[in-house]
Amino acid sequence: MHCWGPAKDWLRNHAMDRIFTVTLKELVDTLRDRRTMMVTLLTSIAAGPLFLTLILNMAANQAERGRELKLPVMGAAYAPALVAFLERQQIDVQPAPEDYEAKIRNGDLDVTLVIDAGFEADVAAGKAATVRLVYDRSRDRARASIDAAEIALRTYNRQWGTQRLVLRGIAPQVALPLEIEGVDLATPQQSGALILFLVAYYGLFASLMGGMALALDATAGERERGSLEPLLATPLVPLEIVIGKWLAIAAFDALVVCLTLAGFYLTLNFAPLPAVGVPFLFGATELLRFLLILAPLIALLPAALLYVGTRGRTLKEAQANVSVLLFVVSMLPVIQLFLQKKEPAWLLWAPISAQYTLLSRALRGDAIPALDWLQSAAVPLALTAITLFAVARLLGRETTLASR
Amino acid sequence: MITADGLVKRFGRKREIAAVDGVSFRAANGAITGLLGPNGAGKTTLQRMLSTVVTPDAGSAAIDGLDVVRDRYRVRNGIGVLSDARGLYARLTARENVRYYGRLHGLSGAALEARIDVLFAGLGLSELADRRTQGFSQGERMKVAIARAIVHDPATLLLDEPTNGLDIMSIRGLRDLLRELRAAGKCILFSTHVMQEVSALCDTIVILGHGRVIASGTAAEILAQSRRATLEDAFVALLGSGEGLAA
Repeated sequence: MHCWGPAKDWLRNHAMDRIFTVTLKELVDTLRDRRTMMVTLLTSIAAGPLFLTLILNMAANQAERGRELKLPVMGAAYAPALVAFLERQQIDVQPAPEDYEAKIRNGDLDVTLVIDAGFEADVAAGKAATVRLVYDRSRDRARASIDAAEIALRTYNRQWGTQRLVLRGIAPQVALPLEIEGVDLATPQQSGALILFLVAYYGLFASLMGGMALALDATAGERERGSLEPLLATPLVPLEIVIGKWLAIAAFDALVVCLTLAGFYLTLNFAPLPAVGVPFLFGATELLRFLLILAPLIALLPAALLYVGTRGRTLKEAQANVSVLLFVVSMLPVIQLFLQKKEPAWLLWAPISAQYTLLSRALRGDAIPALDWLQSAAVPLALTAITLFAVARLLGRETTLASR
Repeated sequence: MITADGLVKRFGRKREIAAVDGVSFRAANGAITGLLGPNGAGKTTLQRMLSTVVTPDAGSAAIDGLDVVRDRYRVRNGIGVLSDARGLYARLTARENVRYYGRLHGLSGAALEARIDVLFAGLGLSELADRRTQGFSQGERMKVAIARAIVHDPATLLLDEPTNGLDIMSIRGLRDLLRELRAAGKCILFSTHVMQEVSALCDTIVILGHGRVIASGTAAEILAQSRRATLEDAFVALLGSGEGLAA
């Protein structure tokens, strides 16, 4: 309880000087830790470009496969008309290797068309002829090729059937009562959901990872190296120490988030990425929106890290506890992604989930009303204040020293 | 001026271990008071209560008239603490370590730098001042910790085993420094388990054992009280045989 009450007159007197002294010291101390610094900064700068290049190349590759389909055909000689049709559809028909099944299974081939030896005889007898499309649907990479081959075969089927009906004087609509027209409502920004998810996810992640090393060093590390007790014997009230450290962690955290987002921004706007038709917007406006959306977390997560670090009796224990926090922060967006439902309104009250929702909206180019932002910021900011008081109380407890 | 009256501190789940069990003593200004006791006698716990980071379970203590519980933040302005935990920031230089504490005590600018220069010169740290403390020897670290503890020129010094790990030259340097501070009117409480420290330096001695004051007074008074010829014999006699080794 003594963490601030009796010291009110003191707080008024140069409290900010003392708080900033702590902040400055923590920042200098961290910036001098060259190895940790390099790892943190390099991963945050490199993450965006690396991930995007990888994913976009994969997407481009897949689109390519669909467009320029190479289709191995077994028994092409049994159905010359079908093969000629496929070739007219710009499909590269190739003779299939004998071991095509094994090759599909291990991923060397995407799809193979097998034409039955009795094809011509069946057609002549007025029966449905059999062709087999062999593929492995569990392979994501093959999906574009499979779809393209299927569509080509269905088109051939429909054309042939329509011709037969016309020959018999029957309107094609008799056999095809349903005309299916697909209307894709996804704007260019709304496609590329995976990339969208990744960018938002990485923004969230950076706001946790950014402050981690510094927070642990300033709490459990301070105790382990025996510099906490002398610090607590200075005229600073615990709350001043806590706020000073928190400011340092939050500032560094903000820097890491900025670098991470700048990495994405530069990659998406200036890198020679393959054109895959998923140009969602991530310009300067989105960058600023991202920062604004993440601001409540840049306040809350450093406070949470401080709390966890102060609870840990040793640096090791604190690290173990932090991994729980890491798990929660990284799982929430994944759960949201898999639920695939429209978000309920209350979700904007929940820290992390709210930020993820708003980040996705910002990426899709949707407007974000100020009221939504306030709603998303309310709980994290209140929690930040509560957590900082809780850390100050922990520091004021003498067991904090005894457990050294 | 330190006054302690019946200080008690208990630890353990049921508060069954009395680390300090009713300690009363005075430490005057312009004097060095030695707190002598074997390991586990309660010296560190007593120092922690006086430095306000641990709250006594019973009894009271005041430093220059300010209560160590009620006025703890004001007490902290006037005390220099070299505690059992005396870690430095390895990535900061010696000067930066001391400057940090100077600023936390409200000092700044040229006055603070001048103060650090004087302290470092006195402790023989001037050449190391702008090197990171990472590679410092134990003795060098101790000197930085001492400079950090007295950077704000406190009226009362609470030193918990300040000679630990120091070589003989450094110990003599520290003694000179403490005598200077005594001459300047400071109240110095100096805890140790090393007999020579006490006889070389202290004006008054408080002998602690099992959390209690066993004897106190000047060296001559303690010798008379125990009817022994040397301080070491007196110490052993007062504590009971073999206590120092067994503890």
